[in-house]
Amino acid sequence: MERGYWIRSKPVYSALLWQQKATAHLVMVEGSAGGLAAIKLFQQMQPLQPTTVIYVKDKVSDADYSVALRKIVPDDLLVFETKDEAMIALQKYLPNALMGLRIYVAGSERFMWSIAQIAGEYGIDDADIYKELTGTLARSVYCVHCKTITHEAHTNIKKCCGCGKMLFVRDHFSRLMGAYMGLMVDAESPGVLPEIEEIYP
Amino acid sequence: MSIINVTVANVEQVTPLVKHFTLVKEDGSLFPAFSGGSHIVVAMNINGRVHRNPYSLMGSPEETGAYHISVRKQEKSRGGSVFMHEQIKVGSKLQITYPVNLFALEKRARKNLLIAGGIGITPFMSQIEDLNRTGAAYEMHYAYRSPEHGAFSDELSAKCGDKFKCYVESDGDTLDFKALLSKQPLGTHVYVCGPHPMVVALIETARELGWPENNIHSEQFSAPPSGDAFKLKLSKSNLEIVVPSEMSMLEAIEAAGVDAPYLCRGGACGRCELEVLCTDGPLIHNDHYLTDAEKAAGKKIMPCVSRAKCDLLELNI
Amino acid sequence: MNVAFKKETFRDDYSYENSPEAIKRFPFPFPEDTYMYSVNIEPHTKGPKGSTIEFAFDIDEHYVAECEDKAKTLALDSSRYQALPHMMDAQWDFLELTMDSLSADYPKLFTLTKDGKNWTWENKPLGIKTSFVFGDKTTLAMEPFEYMSRQVQGDFVLLDQRNGTLYADAGFVTSQADWSLAFDAGMAWHEWHGPVPQVTKLGVMDRALKYLMNIQLGSPVRRLNWTMTINPRLDTSPENYPLWGGDRNKVTPDNVGDLVHLRVELQSLFRLPRSNGLFFSIRCYLISMDELSTYPRWVKRFHRVLKSLHSDLVEYKGLTKFRDMTVQWLSRFDDGKPMDIGTHPE
Repeated sequence: MERGYWIRSKPVYSALLWQQKATAHLVMVEGSAGGLAAIKLFQQMQPLQPTTVIYVKDKVSDADYSVALRKIVPDDLLVFETKDEAMIALQKYLPNALMGLRIYVAGSERFMWSIAQIAGEYGIDDADIYKELTGTLARSVYCVHCKTITHEAHTNIKKCCGCGKMLFVRDHFSRLMGAYMGLMVDAESPGVLPEIEEIYP
Repeated sequence: MSIINVTVANVEQVTPLVKHFTLVKEDGSLFPAFSGGSHIVVAMNINGRVHRNPYSLMGSPEETGAYHISVRKQEKSRGGSVFMHEQIKVGSKLQITYPVNLFALEKRARKNLLIAGGIGITPFMSQIEDLNRTGAAYEMHYAYRSPEHGAFSDELSAKCGDKFKCYVESDGDTLDFKALLSKQPLGTHVYVCGPHPMVVALIETARELGWPENNIHSEQFSAPPSGDAFKLKLSKSNLEIVVPSEMSMLEAIEAAGVDAPYLCRGGACGRCELEVLCTDGPLIHNDHYLTDAEKAAGKKIMPCVSRAKCDLLELNI
Repeated sequence: MNVAFKKETFRDDYSYENSPEAIKRFPFPFPEDTYMYSVNIEPHTKGPKGSTIEFAFDIDEHYVAECEDKAKTLALDSSRYQALPHMMDAQWDFLELTMDSLSADYPKLFTLTKDGKNWTWENKPLGIKTSFVFGDKTTLAMEPFEYMSRQVQGDFVLLDQRNGTLYADAGFVTSQADWSLAFDAGMAWHEWHGPVPQVTKLGVMDRALKYLMNIQLGSPVRRLNWTMTINPRLDTSPENYPLWGGDRNKVTPDNVGDLVHLRVELQSLFRLPRSNGLFFSIRCYLISMDELSTYPRWVKRFHRVLKSLHSDLVEYKGLTKFRDMTVQWLSRFDDGKPMDIGTHPE
């Protein structure tokens, strides 16, 4: 990447901070790294307002923070084994939620943007969801040719799971899709590929 | 800005202080359609000087044979509202701009919470037409002093049905912002228009409760504050003029024949922003647009509402 | 307007060609010997008679062929049309604007009669006649935005204005220069302009956004943008990159004149009445280097612009593979003498 080069569509994440002005808080975290981020958040403060935490444990995690979290989360702690169950819980929570709810998420990009998509159906702008990227830099890639999204891309070039083309993983990101744009890397010279590097560990 | 020549087709006294004017195009053709919440700026020639006041369009955005505005006679009028009330009759001619919308509905809102105080009801009249047409969820909360001052209350009750609630001060009704804003579902947008203290209170309450800025919408049509007179140098136009105490800088610039951009004329939209080249006294920022840092830096000013306490202020226009 | 509509293709055999009249009215965008990205917006008012900017929407000799090309592209990939649900008012605004403009500006080609909300539209070149109820989408065979987009040359985006920015919430994009509507749909201004280089440093995008958000009803604006295409191909989308990307390798010093095209986009923006949105029209004009050399002022100027173009822009516009060859080909026409500022041909 050329020095000084950056594009505005690439999302930039930051550490979670409590928002003082709120009527309720919802924290959703994924895996051990996400669990740690939640603990870090509660060490800032125990918020005044009702707070719900949804924790999704990693399948191959060696650190399960549900016990630690149970000690510090004052109101509701919901623990799930899979992301899908967590999303279902979110779908149940939001219809009864009120304006003034603050949402905090920590996990992979895929996890965070799945939440943003669901929250978007309830009128929540993703800019109002506080996001901390933890655990992995893996990218979801949208193949512009066959319109399939391939998940877990750790390399600069990824094979599309839909049409098999080798896609260059760009920085251009769609919030609605929760994916980066993938463009056939060897369209002009078929078979000639640049070096494939793992740059999103 | 593009201008439309209009004739006053009807004048109706709605309350002791409010008159409703029906405007038609001088050439008899249809007006442009518009979006609910839009306003026009009416240019009035008062004793040889042109006053420009913004007024919300109240009618249905679909019925473009006429535009409807309402004017409240202001106690401390700088001339505009008094002129409209006392000089404008059926057959009078005026010039208006195309509709401008700085108070638009959010089309994806799951619910729209409309809050009006007094004459602030006017922009909601056209918004409600759009909301009824699209079937969007909304509530209209309208607060006013006493029954005789509730302009269009009956009409609103008919248009909104059980979505309409009024709060009459003289009857002891109160509109509790905190209670109202604490029980709204996700995706609600709140819109407020009315006296300055009411608008400020609503915005503050919403912020305290954690409502995102983008879900809070407000409109105010307040008159530009007056102040000491001062000299204004317009460097590009090569003019030096005086800004009298009851005239805004923007009005003084316009009176001098210089075409200055504007939209809301109320310090909210940023369109009239001008570059300050130099000043020998402090700037008085009365707008809601510039950041605190920008105000402190003193390089920009909103001539529609702001002034300066100086002998000479030089602007890059 | 006295135009015989050409039968030609923008793909496969690429039979597209400009007549001498079309070449003469080409919107050549370079007034100076160097080019830098800028906002360069002006009011979209009535231009000189016969020019591409005489009317709100320009209909030229390529009208019928271009509409056929659009229909083909859309038939092969329906994702080239996107419309988020809240944009229906903007769709009707767009239909009204295009129908009103075309019927007023080209009365021999298009007619529109209105009886209250009952409208009848006739498009003679395409052989279309439709009666419908304005505002009622059940009375049209397809959504209003798609309906009229198929009948006007260019790509179209409907922008929703909210949250202090603009969102690309609906689009009909079959001839874009290398961006994906399917991917960019729903993006905010700064997001969809993310990939444009050098520009964040200049703050050009911030100023442009402010300007656009202040565009008023009745006061549309326009500007010119440009890039280059190999073959007169309209559909240079990322989706179909495998189909056209390889053409860049086919340029040789001998075929530059025929294969290499200057592609100029006449972009115009209109405030929409009922939706308070913005309508963005991107009208594409293609001219081969051979055709460009008809006018010495143009071919010399373009030589200088292309030669001095910043490397970031060369890369972003996809010109890397053939820029030098084209500069070489153009240099034959350049006598090096100073030229006055201006885009006019001889």
